[in-house]
Amino acid sequence: MPRAIRGVLIECDPSIKAIIMKIDSESHHFVVEELDDQTLVIKENMLGELKRRLDDQLRDTQQPPEDSGSD
Amino acid sequence: MSVSNLASFEYLEKLPGTTFKKLYKQPSTALAIFRRMLPHLGKDLVPYLRRPVDIVQERPLQRDEALSTLSRLHIITVTAPSRDEPQVVSLTPAFGKSLRLALTGGGDHQSFGVPSSDAGTANLDIPFLDEYARSQWEGILHYVVSNVADGSRHGGPSPSSGVKELLELGNLVSRGKRVYGGITQAGFSFLLQEVNAQVWTLLLLWIENAERLEMVAVEVLSFVFMLGSLELGRAYNIRTLKDSERKMLPNLVDCGLVYIPQPTPNQFFPTRLATTLTSDASALRSVTAGFDSALSAGAGTTGFIIIETNYRLYAYTSSPLQIAVLALFTKLTTRYPNMVCGRVTRQSIYAAISHGITSEQVITYLSTHAHTQLLKAAAAKGGGPVLPPTVVDQIRLWQIENERMKSTPGFLFKDFEDQKEYEACLKYADEIGVLEWKSDAKRIFFVTKMEQLRDYIKSRKGK
Repeated sequence: MPRAIRGVLIECDPSIKAIIMKIDSESHHFVVEELDDQTLVIKENMLGELKRRLDDQLRDTQQPPEDSGSD
Repeated sequence: MSVSNLASFEYLEKLPGTTFKKLYKQPSTALAIFRRMLPHLGKDLVPYLRRPVDIVQERPLQRDEALSTLSRLHIITVTAPSRDEPQVVSLTPAFGKSLRLALTGGGDHQSFGVPSSDAGTANLDIPFLDEYARSQWEGILHYVVSNVADGSRHGGPSPSSGVKELLELGNLVSRGKRVYGGITQAGFSFLLQEVNAQVWTLLLLWIENAERLEMVAVEVLSFVFMLGSLELGRAYNIRTLKDSERKMLPNLVDCGLVYIPQPTPNQFFPTRLATTLTSDASALRSVTAGFDSALSAGAGTTGFIIIETNYRLYAYTSSPLQIAVLALFTKLTTRYPNMVCGRVTRQSIYAAISHGITSEQVITYLSTHAHTQLLKAAAAKGGGPVLPPTVVDQIRLWQIENERMKSTPGFLFKDFEDQKEYEACLKYADEIGVLEWKSDAKRIFFVTKMEQLRDYIKSRKGK
């Protein structure tokens, strides 16, 4: 009998997936199943938290370009 | 069919049969559902169904659709197909009786309201009622918006705490989650809807949460349907209402659906918001058009936004509501008596997105409210896009920048016994259009819905 697992399918770049795996390695609260380089399934209730943690991680590495132009 | 129609319709279909039985006791409900909710073929069918009849043979596709709608609303019962007798359709007794009463005007049910004949009931004029409904409703909309756009002056009346609670329950505004609460994605969609759809959204929220507010959902629903059958500008007697219905009145007054004049608290006036609830779509459109122009008071026409290729935005409006909406996704800089100026910037779009408003919603808002000059310019170029393409593209890009992953809720299927089972299930999932991702090597796949697939797997096991 096949099994069905509830979750959220995440499709992203390999680099983003690596960061998600790094976040998950601290607590193992997020990832249900790794599927391949660009896809994984995470717990449904953790999506918001994961997005927040991902934003935190990326804020340090990416510099948003300055808004040019004046009013 | 309009959007509001669909929303209320979906809610009704989910109700259990016993609820319908109670609902159909009121002739006004039966008539309202008949008038408003049915597809045309369904309407044609109902009068023939006073006695049980064989299923008609023409137009099978539309016929089946109409019949299934009718039976989901518990208006008809269809006998199970069997070899000996043809399938027979008949009206459910409760609906049939009430509809007959409604159409012939017989009985002593008072479900269409009782006009008040008290002394001193000079009928209020319709413009006054319209103005009252508009100001109440704009107050609610303004609350939804101004939750975010702090610093904007609040002109209209503030909605009551009951309405505020409803908006929160319905997730149209959120409080406390972030540093400052605010409008949600659902809230912004709510703003973009036409007034009638907005009223239905709020009423459905109310009905869904009726128990929490110590009311019975069925009673609220049938009262709402009754309001829809009343006449605009006419006074109705409060004393003939049931106790439970009297308790609902203050809420309806808050929303501007009903007006109770101070000197004569025993009568109420339904406003245009209430009387158009269940009316025909065509009648509705002209009314909402009237409302829209009323809502954009000061602007004169519905279109008031000009946006240039350099992201500058000029909005010819003095309505605090519209300015507050614009402030959700624009960096406003200058305000003149009849217009505001600002720029759409990366930061302002990010701020909107962080509230859950999507770029598509912003673009829809801008293009539906585009100034006639923009429309003229587009028409002169041979019907090109109304908004400058560079701006539209950039707004979309700003959103994508922040979306680093695509998420789809659903179910992962794994541990299939053999290749054959995997392939059969995969094929079925693909056919019903729920397949999202698969890996043949690992024999796993991901679907968005599982009910049908689960039944399919069970039926395979049963073989």
